Amino acid sequence: MLYQLSWTILFAPLLAFAVIIFGTRVWDLRSRPKVALPAAEHGHGEHHTDDHDTHAVTDEHGHGGHSEQDEDDDPHVPQLSAGAKASAYAALVIMALACIYSWVLLFSTVLHPADLAAAGKEVFAYNWLSVGGLNYIVGFHLDRLGIAMMVVVTTITFLVQFYSQGYMENSAGYARFYAYLSLFAFSMLVIVFAENFLVIFCGWELVGLSSYLLIGFWINKRAKPEEQRPSPASANLQAFIMNRIGDVGFILGIMILFVNTGSFDFIAVQHGVVHMDKTLLGIAMILVFCGAMGKSAQFPLHTWLPSAMEGPTPVSALIHAATMVAAGVYMIARTSPLFATAAPFAWEVVASIGAFTAFFAATIALVQSDFKRVLAFSTISQLGYMFVGLGVAGPEYGVGPGMFHLFTHAFFKALLFLGAGSVLHGLHHAMHKEVQDVRLMGGLASKMPITAATWLIAVLAISGFPGFSGFYSKEEIIGLALEQGHPVIYALTLATAGLTAFYMLRAFILAFGGKGGKFMGLWGGPYRGYGEVKESPLYMTIPLMLLVIPSVLAGYWTGFYQYVNVSAENVANLSIPALFQATDTWIGVIVSLVGLGFAWFLYGRVDLVKINQVVQSNAALRTIHRILFNRYYVDDLYNWIVKYVVLGLAALAQAFDRYIVDGIVNGVASGVTGTGSGIRRLETGRVQSYMIGFFGGVAVLAVVFVVLITTVWK
Amino acid sequence: MDLATLLFWIFAVIMVGAALLVVGLRDIVHSALALVVVFAMAAGVYVLLDAEFIAIVQILIYVGAVTILVLFALMLTRIEGQRHTNPTNKLWPVAAVICVAIGAVIVYAFSESKHAVSTTIAASDVVKQLPNNVVRIGQLLYSPTNYSYVLPFEIASLVLLVAIVGAIVIGRED
Amino acid sequence: MHLTLEHVLVLGAVLFCIGLYGAITKRNAIAVLMSIEIMLNAVNITMVGFSYFDTVKLYSQHLTGQIFAIFIITVAAAEAAVALAMVIAIYRKRATVDVGEIDMMKW
Repeated sequence: MLYQLSWTILFAPLLAFAVIIFGTRVWDLRSRPKVALPAAEHGHGEHHTDDHDTHAVTDEHGHGGHSEQDEDDDPHVPQLSAGAKASAYAALVIMALACIYSWVLLFSTVLHPADLAAAGKEVFAYNWLSVGGLNYIVGFHLDRLGIAMMVVVTTITFLVQFYSQGYMENSAGYARFYAYLSLFAFSMLVIVFAENFLVIFCGWELVGLSSYLLIGFWINKRAKPEEQRPSPASANLQAFIMNRIGDVGFILGIMILFVNTGSFDFIAVQHGVVHMDKTLLGIAMILVFCGAMGKSAQFPLHTWLPSAMEGPTPVSALIHAATMVAAGVYMIARTSPLFATAAPFAWEVVASIGAFTAFFAATIALVQSDFKRVLAFSTISQLGYMFVGLGVAGPEYGVGPGMFHLFTHAFFKALLFLGAGSVLHGLHHAMHKEVQDVRLMGGLASKMPITAATWLIAVLAISGFPGFSGFYSKEEIIGLALEQGHPVIYALTLATAGLTAFYMLRAFILAFGGKGGKFMGLWGGPYRGYGEVKESPLYMTIPLMLLVIPSVLAGYWTGFYQYVNVSAENVANLSIPALFQATDTWIGVIVSLVGLGFAWFLYGRVDLVKINQVVQSNAALRTIHRILFNRYYVDDLYNWIVKYVVLGLAALAQAFDRYIVDGIVNGVASGVTGTGSGIRRLETGRVQSYMIGFFGGVAVLAVVFVVLITTVWK
Repeated sequence: MDLATLLFWIFAVIMVGAALLVVGLRDIVHSALALVVVFAMAAGVYVLLDAEFIAIVQILIYVGAVTILVLFALMLTRIEGQRHTNPTNKLWPVAAVICVAIGAVIVYAFSESKHAVSTTIAASDVVKQLPNNVVRIGQLLYSPTNYSYVLPFEIASLVLLVAIVGAIVIGRED
Repeated sequence: MHLTLEHVLVLGAVLFCIGLYGAITKRNAIAVLMSIEIMLNAVNITMVGFSYFDTVKLYSQHLTGQIFAIFIITVAAAEAAVALAMVIAIYRKRATVDVGEIDMMKW
């Protein structure tokens, strides 16, 4: 019963979405003062308040302590209405219940593993369509892998929603924001619960839609070319389209599997692929992996993730920790029995792309000056680790290492993003504009101690500092790469570990510390911005403090590998003593410590301006910096491709369409017109010429008939 | 050749001749008078075929009503100074070919039909014993219970009503 | 030589074709209508002929052919009334009864 009713977790966020959209948000909009039209005198002509709210328009500026110079593009209301607050409470209460339920499920399955069969349990099935012998079932099932993921999704979503009460204060789109967050959680849970490829694909697209809505939440915000930042409206499009590119592969992969096994169901496909050609299966799985590459932002489909930073920061936290990018990793874990059956190159491709992406993104993150963008690239890098973990683990470990890193990373990455949001929120209030550039931060630790402390813990976790959760998941993956005989991947991941430690502490010191701060510049120091920065409200700091707990302790769940195991064989569990005894663990730790130490040494003791001067004065360093800063020009390459190749082909196609297709069509049309205007002369309008035609036809037919019956039919 | 056949031939020849005059005469009033002859001869043929009621109706309606109607229409549409009031258009050779072809095919079809009726003998003796033609038709048209044509008859009256109204509406001067 | 069905049918066919010829070739609208009356009469003669030479008549006593003829006469009378009214209306509007000039019903 406990397990059978778990579908309520899935539908709870959908319920919240419906309640908000059809109930409380309408209440919110109705209660707003009615103003004739959006105020054009505000200087930003295209500004509207909330997106579709034409009947309720509020003043955008000059409220809630914002001055007229406030460059915020998020329209505000002076005071949240009861409807808006009710929206948040509805979403929060429902998500809290779902969260508690999923934690109950987690503890129940950990304490009584026998209660839920390893293969899972179908909790909801609706026969959507029966064609021939095929049943297309909207089916959801519950297993331990799903429960682990569900806990992450519901917990992070709940904390993000809680946090958004502070971050989104007085936003005109408050109710809408909560509706979208709920929809996002629902979409992800569809993926988590999915029983077959069709349902997972539906969830996949729902996630794409939700992320589209949320990344573009601030629809009025404009692009900032000087900071290389796109507008949210184009960033969400980029995310959507990038994902479509990956989805093409995903669909093709699903089709190949379907054609060869005749089913969409994971278990049936798993049984069916045994007889399939291993190479073909490998190709199918790589195509499926393409979908994961899009969703999880792996090279070369990674560029949408940094652009997605244009969304509100809680959304970034959600995307990066629990809902969007985790979907790709989760899907690969879900289909891992198929990868295991396929030719070995399938896993190798996954691991190689993961390793390359990890290193690639880490190098970019080294020089980014945008606070959130550093985190974006660190996410890409960490997702690379997860794919390496899935790719190299082999049957002894199953999906454990990859999923474990997903699990721990979700918490500390959520913490990092929510902390970053707290910083941006504080700076926004101080400077009355949106600031994300670390060059305008510095020394914030003494002003925002809670944010700084929690952030530092998250930095240590992501850097793999011994004792923190990231250490257990990441060192295990790096160690596995060596153990399973992938020296190149090992080298890349090891180097990435050092880079990660470096750029994370660099970001920390640039934001919170600086030359002159305590502990050799680690804590406090000169503030490069202006205005009075204050610690964020409790709404925002409570989730940070709560997230510290799993960020540290999640790594001590040693039974995780076996818990999430989806293959038939038992797998080895994480052994902490063995981990501490292994040499390569300590090599990894040393590399991380070197990275941390170097960052501390460099940015804690030297002024940022001076570092920049040094970099700019050295030709080689300058070139490297420029390449990295421009993200290897991948975005520019894509822009170039779109501009010249895609648009060129489009122009060709257009020319073909205009001159050949249209030519044929118009030719036919003008031919018909010409023939018609010729033939219409036969239409004299005189009834007797029509009679000639009619009776002439009768006569001809009669004569033909007579001829036929006298000759042929006789 | 019995009397009936002889009369039929007389009627038929006059009828066809009058019909040719209808389409051939140059003065339309003469054509209309020739049409009267056609209608009258048709009535004669009906009598020969034991259809006395129809023959009477033919005289009443066609010779009486329709011809008068036509003559009235001719009077009302007279164009001053026109000598040939019943001209023929340029399509006449084509029309002639078509008409001859259709007529030939119809006649050919009679002669070749499996239901060739050459052997059919007029059942006049039997018919004589039946109630007379008018009574029989009256029974067929009005019997409410038996097999009859009450409904079509009523509909025909409706058609006539509509025609009356339509003729008045169309023909009146506004 | 007895009177047979063929006699009647051929008479009907000849009359029909004469009427058809007139309907196609006459330029006076009233002449066209007269030709149509000839065609209708031809059909009536055929109907009555079939009725007279009906071999089943002995048993069923149906006069279906004559009934048909009656209805045709009815409808023909109605048609004549309406058509002549139209001719008069057209004459009033256009001062002509030439069918060749009445050609509004094109394009």
